Amino acid sequence: MSALGTAKTFVADDTAAVATFLGTRPARVRVRSGGSRQLRLPEPGDATVLDLSRLTAIVRLDGPDQTCTVECGLPRADLDAALATCGLELPCPGGGTLGGLFASDPIGASTFGGPSPRSLLLGMDAVLADGTPFKSGARVVKSVAGFDVHKLLVGSEGRLFVATRLHLRLKPAPRCVQWFCRTGLDVAAAIDCLRKLQQEPVPPAAVQLVRAPDGSCAVQGRFAGRAAFVAEMLRRHGLPESAPCWRDHLDPPTHGEVVGGATLVGALPVLSSHLPANASLLWQGGGRFEAALPDAISADAFLHTCANGGVSTLVVHGAPERRGHGTLRDDGHQRLQDGLRRALDPHGILV
Amino acid sequence: MPRLESALVRLLGPQRVLTSPDALLAWECDGFTVHKSRPRAVVLPESTAEVQAVVRLLADAQVPFVPRGAGTCLSGGPTAGTTAVVLDLSRMRRVLRIETADLFAVVEPGVVNADLTAAVKHLGLHYAPDPSSQTVCTIGGNFAENSGGPHCFKYGMTQDHVLAALVVLPDGSLARLGSPAGSRLPGSVDLTALFCGSEGTFGIATEITVRLCRDQESVRTLLASFATMTAACRTVGDIVAAGLVPAALEILDQATIRAVEASVYRAGYPADAAAVLLVELDGPTAVVGEEAAEVRAAFARNGALRIEEATDPNERKRLWKGRKGAFGAMGRLNTDLYVLDGVVPRTRLEEALAGITAIGAKHGVLMTNVFHAGDGNLHPNISYDGRDAAATARTIAAGHEILQLCVDLGGSISGEHGIGTEKLDHVRMMYDAADLAVMAKVRAVWNPDDRCNPGKALPSRSACAESAKWPAMTARILRDEVRP
Ligand SMILES: Cc1cc2nc3c(=O)[nH]c(=O)nc-3n(C[C@H](O)[C@H](O)[C@H](O)COP(=O)(O)OP(=O)(O)OC[C@H]3O[C@@H](n4cnc5c(N)ncnc54)[C@H](O)[C@@H]3O)c2cc1C
Ligand SMILES: Cc1cc2nc3c(=O)[nH]c(=O)nc-3n(C[C@H](O)[C@H](O)[C@H](O)COP(=O)(O)OP(=O)(O)OC[C@H]3O[C@@H](n4cnc5c(N)ncnc54)[C@H](O)[C@@H]3O)c2cc1C
Repeated sequence: MSALGTAKTFVADDTAAVATFLGTRPARVRVRSGGSRQLRLPEPGDATVLDLSRLTAIVRLDGPDQTCTVECGLPRADLDAALATCGLELPCPGGGTLGGLFASDPIGASTFGGPSPRSLLLGMDAVLADGTPFKSGARVVKSVAGFDVHKLLVGSEGRLFVATRLHLRLKPAPRCVQWFCRTGLDVAAAIDCLRKLQQEPVPPAAVQLVRAPDGSCAVQGRFAGRAAFVAEMLRRHGLPESAPCWRDHLDPPTHGEVVGGATLVGALPVLSSHLPANASLLWQGGGRFEAALPDAISADAFLHTCANGGVSTLVVHGAPERRGHGTLRDDGHQRLQDGLRRALDPHGILV
Repeated sequence: MPRLESALVRLLGPQRVLTSPDALLAWECDGFTVHKSRPRAVVLPESTAEVQAVVRLLADAQVPFVPRGAGTCLSGGPTAGTTAVVLDLSRMRRVLRIETADLFAVVEPGVVNADLTAAVKHLGLHYAPDPSSQTVCTIGGNFAENSGGPHCFKYGMTQDHVLAALVVLPDGSLARLGSPAGSRLPGSVDLTALFCGSEGTFGIATEITVRLCRDQESVRTLLASFATMTAACRTVGDIVAAGLVPAALEILDQATIRAVEASVYRAGYPADAAAVLLVELDGPTAVVGEEAAEVRAAFARNGALRIEEATDPNERKRLWKGRKGAFGAMGRLNTDLYVLDGVVPRTRLEEALAGITAIGAKHGVLMTNVFHAGDGNLHPNISYDGRDAAATARTIAAGHEILQLCVDLGGSISGEHGIGTEKLDHVRMMYDAADLAVMAKVRAVWNPDDRCNPGKALPSRSACAESAKWPAMTARILRDEVRP
C-alpha cells in the first residue's frame, strides 16, 4: 500500500482553492481525484495529497450542442448517467473520475482510429504548480486558437499542472448496441479476426483481444449503430452475441508485473510470441496493450524484446521503484518531454 | 553575396537558393494578402538531412526562418519578415510508405493533400481531412495548422489523423513524435497532438505518419434550398438532434449562391434561395438509405423550397462544385477577399449570422457566408479592393467585430485557419496574460530563442522587430482610414 493512506491531504472545493493551496508553495504535491490509480504511480513520499474528489459539478451540459463542462473530480459514472438522459455519450472507455481518466489515459481509444480522451478534450481550466490559474482551448467543437496546452493533460499523470474543469465533446448515443465475444481462439485466429474487423469501413465501436495465461484467446467488443447494420456485422464476422464484456486493465499476478505499451495489429504475432507461456495479454483496438508477467525477470526480458522491435513499453504495475521502468523514447522526444515538465513545474512540485 | 547566402548555395546549389527581389515576389504573402513582406531568401530543401543542414546553418548565424508548404494559409502563417529565410518544403513530396493492413501512410511534408488520397484510391482508401484547398495545400501545412474541412464534422481534424512525425527542431536536432501505433507514446504526453496546430513555430516536420480510412460502401449527397437562413440553420439542428452524424453539413448564403452561379463554378443552385444546405451521408448502403429519409424529413419539416439528391458521381460532383468553388467565385467580386474564420456553438448559428449581417451593414462591406454548419465554423468573407486603404481598414474593422461576436457567443476566433499574423490582435479576446504566458512557456521548450517562425500565433511582448511588425502593419492600415 502506498503512503497515500496516511499522507497529509488538502481537499479542494473549487479552482480558487486549488490555486490558493498551490500558492502556499507546498514542497511536493500528489494530485488525486478518485484515487484508483495511485497504486500504479511512483511512491509519493512526503507529498501532500491534493484531493479533487469534491469537484463534482457538471457545470454545463449543452445537449443540442453536444458539449459539456465538468469539474475534474466528477465520477465518470455520474456523467454517463446524466448524458443518458439526453441521448448522448462520452465515447471513450475508462472509469474513475474525469480528471483521473484524462490525466492517466490508461486505455486510449477502444477501436481502430476511434475517439480517445485526447480527441474529446476541447479545453480546460487548470492551475500551474506555482498556483497560477490558466485556461486553454475552448468549449466549442473546433478551435485552433493558440497552442493545445490542454491536450498535455492526457497522460500527464498529474505532473504538469492541475486541471480543475474540462470542456468535453460528446456524441449521440447509438440507437442499437450489441456486445460480442468470440472465445477459444488461438493467437493466429484471434489476430485474423481483428484484421478483418480492422478493414471494415465502419469498425466495431470497441474491440479487444484477451489472451489468458493458458494461451487461449478471445476477441470481444461491441458494434453500435442501426439494428440491421449491427446484426449484419455480427453475422459477417461470425461473432456470437454476449452480455457486456470489456476489460480496462489486467491485474498483476502475485509477485508479477504489468507492462504497458502500444502496437499495431500487424506486430501482435511477434509480440505475443515473445510472451512467456503463462503470461496474459490485453490488447485494445486503439493500439494500447497490457501484458501481465509472472515476475520482474520475465518482465525485463519482455521489455528488452519490445525495445529491440521498436515497440514502446514500460512497467505500469509493479514494485514502486519499478513503475515507469523500461520506457523507450527517442532522445529528442525525451528532451521535449523533460523540457515541458521543467517549463511548467520548474521546482518539481507535482509528483 | 553575403556569407549566409553563399553557405546556403554551397549546401543546396544556386537553383535552390533564391535571393533576388523578383524571385522572392511569389513568397511575399499567403492567402491573407493584407500582410506582405519579402523574405531575406527562400531555400528549397529536398530531404530531412538538407533541412537539418540549413537549420543548423541558420542557428549558427542566429537567423530566423519560416517553414512553408503551398502558401495557401489564410492567416499569414508562412509569411516571413525581411530578415527571415523561408524553407519551402514543396519539393519534399514523396509518399514514403503505404500500409494497407494497418491503415497508415508515411509522407514527406510537401505531399499535396489530394495527391495522398489519389495515391491510395486504388486500394479503396483515402485520407480524411479535406480542406477546400486540398488540391494545392500540403500535409505539412495541414499538420502545422491542424486543418479541417467539410468532412471534419464526422471524421475530425488533422490532429485526429496524424499518428507520428519526424521533426527538425530549431537547433537542427531531430525529434520523433508518436508512432504508427498511436500519437501518444506510453508513459508520455502527446507531443504529436501538441505540435499539430503550432503554426510552424515549434520546428519543421519532415516526415508525417497519417491514418488512412477505408472508403465507405455508399455516399449520398443531398442539397436543400430554403427561403430563410434561419430555416437552414434549424434543419442542421434537427439533423444533429436526431442523432445523425453526416459526413458533411455545409451552408452557403444567398450572396455566395449568386457569386457561385455567376462564375465558372456554377452548380445550378437556386439563385433566389436565402440559403442552401449541403448534406453528405456515408456508410453502409442500407444505413445511408435510412438516414437519407430522415434528412429529407428534416428538410420538409423546415419548409425546404427544393430538394436535390445526387444519383451518380457526376451529380455529386456538381452539387459539391459550388461549395468547393465558393472561395474562387467570391474572389471575382473584387480584387481582394478576406476569408474570416470563427466558431460559435452550433446552437447559436442563427444569432451569429444575424450579428454578422449587421456588422457588415455597419461597415458598408460586401459580405458572403459559406460555412461548416455542423461544427458551427463560420467563414464570413469580405470582398474588398486592397488598393483602397479606407476599404481595407473597414474590412479589418468588420473582421475584428465579427471575431468578438464569436467569442461573446461562447466560441473561438479560429476553427481551422489559425492565428498567424492576422489574429495576433484578437488572441486576447479569448486568453488573458496568464493563459498566453503558459503557451509561451510551451513554445520556448521547442523554440527557445523564437527564431522559428517568429511573431506568429502568439502576441509577443518582445520589442523584436519581427514580432512587432504585423500588428504595426494592421495598425497603420486602420490609421489610414481616419485620415481625411
Ligand atoms: C475501482 C477501480 C479500479 C481500478 N483499477 C485499476 C487497475 O488495477 N489498473 C489500472 O490500470 N487501472 C485501474 N482503474 C482505472 C484507472 O484508475 C483509471 O486511470 C482511472 O481513470 C483513474 O481515475 P481516478 O479518478 O481514480 O484517478 P486518480 O488515481 O485520482 O488519478 C490518476 C492520475 O491522474 C492524475 N490526476 C487526477 N486528477 C487530475 C487532475 N485533475 N489534474 C491533473 N492530474 C490529475 C493523478 O495525479 C494520477 O496520476 C481502476 C478504476 C476504478 C474505478
Ligand atoms: C481557397 C482556400 C480554401 C481553404 N479551405 C480550408 C479549409 O476548408 N479548411 C482549412 O483548415 N483550411 C483551409 N484553407 C487554409 C489552408 O489551405 C490551410 O491552412 C492549409 O493547411 C495550409 O497548407 P499549406 O501547405 O498551404 O501551408 P502554408 O500556407 O505554406 O503554411 C501554413 C503554416 O504551416 C507552417 N508549415 C508549413 N509546412 C510546415 C512543416 N512541414 N512543418 C512545420 N510547419 C509547417 C507554415 O510555417 C505556416 O505557419 C483554405 C485556403 C484557401 C486558399
